[in-house]
Amino acid sequence: MSTRSLVMGLLGLFLITLVFQTFYIVDQRQQAIVVAFGDPVRVVNPPGRSEAGLNLKIPFVEQVIKLDRRNIALEADKEEIITAGQERLVVDAFIRYRISDPLQFYRTLRDETTATDRIERLVNSSLRQVLGSANSTDIISGRRAQLMQQAKLDVDQRARASRLGIQVIDLRIKRADLPAQNREAVFRRMSTSRQQVAAQLRAQGEQKKREIIAQADKEVAITLATAREQSGQTTGEGDALRTRIFASSFGKDPSFAAFFRSMQAYEASLADGQTTLVLSPDSAFFRYFERGPTGR
Amino acid sequence: MPWNDNANPGPWGSPSGDDKRDPPRRPSGGGGGGGPRGPGGPDFNAGFDRLSQRLRDLMGGPGGQPRRGLIPVVAGVAFALWAASGVYVVQPNEQAIVMTFGAYSRSETPGLRYHLPAPIERVEKVPVTSLKRTDVGGAGSDAESTAASQMLTGDEQIIDVDFSVTWRVSDAARYLFATRDPEDAVKDVAESAMREVVGKTQLQPIISTGRGQVQQQTAELMQRTLDAWGAGISIVEVQIRSAGPPSEVVAAFREVNNAQQDADSAENEANTYRNRVINEAKGDAARITQAAQAYREQAVREATGEASRFNQIYTEYRRAPGVTRDRLYIETMQRILQNSNKVVIDAKGATAPIILPPDVFRPKSQPAPQIEVGPAQPQPQTQPKSAQ
Repeated sequence: MSTRSLVMGLLGLFLITLVFQTFYIVDQRQQAIVVAFGDPVRVVNPPGRSEAGLNLKIPFVEQVIKLDRRNIALEADKEEIITAGQERLVVDAFIRYRISDPLQFYRTLRDETTATDRIERLVNSSLRQVLGSANSTDIISGRRAQLMQQAKLDVDQRARASRLGIQVIDLRIKRADLPAQNREAVFRRMSTSRQQVAAQLRAQGEQKKREIIAQADKEVAITLATAREQSGQTTGEGDALRTRIFASSFGKDPSFAAFFRSMQAYEASLADGQTTLVLSPDSAFFRYFERGPTGR
Repeated sequence: MPWNDNANPGPWGSPSGDDKRDPPRRPSGGGGGGGPRGPGGPDFNAGFDRLSQRLRDLMGGPGGQPRRGLIPVVAGVAFALWAASGVYVVQPNEQAIVMTFGAYSRSETPGLRYHLPAPIERVEKVPVTSLKRTDVGGAGSDAESTAASQMLTGDEQIIDVDFSVTWRVSDAARYLFATRDPEDAVKDVAESAMREVVGKTQLQPIISTGRGQVQQQTAELMQRTLDAWGAGISIVEVQIRSAGPPSEVVAAFREVNNAQQDADSAENEANTYRNRVINEAKGDAARITQAAQAYREQAVREATGEASRFNQIYTEYRRAPGVTRDRLYIETMQRILQNSNKVVIDAKGATAPIILPPDVFRPKSQPAPQIEVGPAQPQPQTQPKSAQ
């Protein structure tokens, strides 16, 4: 009875172990290499094939090594690169890769830690080469996309040549900045260029101010001169009319007009009480005063 | 007691929720009766004893073999609990991805759903409609965030750009399976794309009018990149929170603003001056022309008046010219002499210059002292005469 249950128990244990040794699960996110005595025999669920799920292997003989099947990020160390124009740039890039050939990957790199190391070196050297042959302007603005593409292809090619079993999906430059000592120079240049703009703005303001004032002064002068012109004309008209009126009137008897006008003028100019007259008794006014009632 | 493991639904029922626990319990109730569910309180112990007794009866007595009929029941309950553990709820903002032995099998929409229980099927829920936000730069003033936000522009100036990316999962399966660390990927791509776009743009537009364009271009570039990876992520918006010159050169940039203000105020001053001066001049001009018109009117009217007076006098004069002439003369002289200081000197035969006292020349309007003038010379006949 107890021997039987022992045998039953051992058998059960063996069966369970057998099940676990026979079936294995490959997640959608994973791919697997089946290894027999250290020798890779086949891959399961590599990119391009859908074999995720429950899979079978020969129990006890075959082992399963699982690798990531997804798009994996790898950030390259920040690196100072000397461009074709001898300028220094601090470049920070990342790549996205995928294990495309798990067998190769396993043979060459074994695991992801080694892979990270190896690929990072690859990326750095590619960036050095590709960016080293370009100007900083190209890297910063002009041909950034092209250079990234070029570096990506370069890394991909080298990875293929070294049989790393990876496929580079993308390589992107995150930062391409100037090193600290160059930044100071840029800040100086920015400041001076702004100061230049400021000075120009001020000068333009002053120019405009003077223009406006000059124009205003001109308008003032013209306005006043026009007014004086009109004034002269009007005054002249008045004078002319006056002259005509007097001429037509006084012209009837010029001698009497002269006498009459003189009398008016004498009165207007002398009858104000401010004048002291020194008269001779033989003036016309004193005719009778001097010579008596006959006036002779 | 193995029975306890089955009676406690904890490990099996927990993922499925309370309401799902009841149906599997009902068959067990046939065996266990309503005992454990009965009201607690004073007769709880008694009830428990009774229950134990019945259990022992069912299992075939103390320490004995379990009864034959019990095993299928226990197994059935266990199976039912296990099967029920596959019920789950997908929230309205979620999409559920069901995997069979790790392999993608289907995706489920919101609602009450069922999957084959673990370990056959497993489910992962992804919030697809909720928006996620990734911030780049800003936040802190530490070296890392400064490094993330400072970048070079197309005209090789340095600009500080803090921005946020709003995104959502557009394809739950791709989001789960295609990319490792998708959130980090969004951030990496955001930084890279923003720098690429800023590198192609001049500084001035970024800090003023071109901001929207930079945002849009960055969003498009990010979307292109993520689509190329098949990441299942959709960029909703790139929002530049702040874009400006770094603190090292802020003063110089402010100076430009100040200069602009100064220029504007200089122009305003000039305009003020112009408005004042021109209006004054217009006023002066009006004064001048009006004065001229006044002069003209005055001259003409006065002349007309004078002429009319003359004409009328002349008409009368022609009737008696001699008399009128004399009368006019004498009347005028009278009016003149009436108001004037007068000195009548008969200088005939005078041999020496006649000296007149200065008081004689005092204007008549001033109160003159009583003048007593004696002849300077015995001969001349001096007649200083005051009107009053």
